Amino acid sequence: MFRRLMQLLNREQKSKSVAKSRLQLILVQDRTGIDEEIMESLQTELTEVLSKYFILEREQVEVELEREQDSMALVANIPVLGTKVRHPVEA
Amino acid sequence: MGKVIVVTSGKGGVGKSTSTANLGTALAVLGKKVAVVDADVGLRNLDVIMGLESRVVYTSMDVLEGVCELEQALVKDRRTKDLYLLAASQKNNKNDIQPEQMKKLCLELKETHDYVLVDSPAGIEQGFQNAAAGADDALVVTTPEVAAVRDADRIIGLLQNMAINNLTLIINRLSPEMVKTGDMMEPTDIIDILSIDLIGVIPEDKEIVVSTNRGMPTTYNHKSDAGQAYKRIAQRLEGEDVPIPEFKSGGFAGWVGKLFKG
Repeated sequence: MFRRLMQLLNREQKSKSVAKSRLQLILVQDRTGIDEEIMESLQTELTEVLSKYFILEREQVEVELEREQDSMALVANIPVLGTKVRHPVEA
Repeated sequence: MGKVIVVTSGKGGVGKSTSTANLGTALAVLGKKVAVVDADVGLRNLDVIMGLESRVVYTSMDVLEGVCELEQALVKDRRTKDLYLLAASQKNNKNDIQPEQMKKLCLELKETHDYVLVDSPAGIEQGFQNAAAGADDALVVTTPEVAAVRDADRIIGLLQNMAINNLTLIINRLSPEMVKTGDMMEPTDIIDILSIDLIGVIPEDKEIVVSTNRGMPTTYNHKSDAGQAYKRIAQRLEGEDVPIPEFKSGGFAGWVGKLFKG
């Protein structure tokens, strides 16, 4: 609720927040040397492998490198509609 | 034995030379023996900012070529006790000096000075490599803008690769009003991103232009906010515990935020 209230008060995002998030994104690329093209091909390959086992909502797949202080994480959001592994009863 | 500090930024125009001139002056006013060195070979400007251009006879290049002694090339600033300038050659280019030569020069200077401040040229090429070659510590200068912070990050990486690990950040030209309204990144935002310690914040100040026009570092001006901020950085370099004034976003949303966070 608090977040909602802040959003109402700050209907338009302040430009300093835009600057900060743009910088964070730029620096992930600068520091790792991993650019958008590499991330895209990673996402395509990852989706292909996972599709062998799961039915994915392909358009919604998101893979991102995120950075906080000194650590970095690969964050993936992959919506699964179902599995492709057959249930033993059906077999 | 003194300390060699390189003043650097990556991006041009963020205030490296102004910071070098003012910090050098402020440290000398504190009673330290200081040499400021212009490492921007071919595009020298520290002499102009300090108002010493008419008194430059020899340059660091002359010292390296054996045309004169180091002592002879040091221009004494008569306004302060123990402040000296070593100018850069205007006739040469950055590739005419090698990092090893610069290192030797810095070593010699720190034997007789408490502080040797080296004003680095912009960029990450040989000029920067030379300026940083003899440095013990580094002051990284940035402004609260995306491009300047990005370049500062790059420079920090390069300095760390050169085993210069005592790095501190100067945020220059910060507008307290714009920070308050949320239209400029505040110091904590920049520190979060760069993960190095902050040594000072210089507020935007029209006096900088006036003092540069006159060739009189703004540190001498007791009414200048920027000048006073440089003085505080000098005190921090000397190990004094001088708090950094806080610059934060405020306004109604900020006030409500404070209520909730306590």
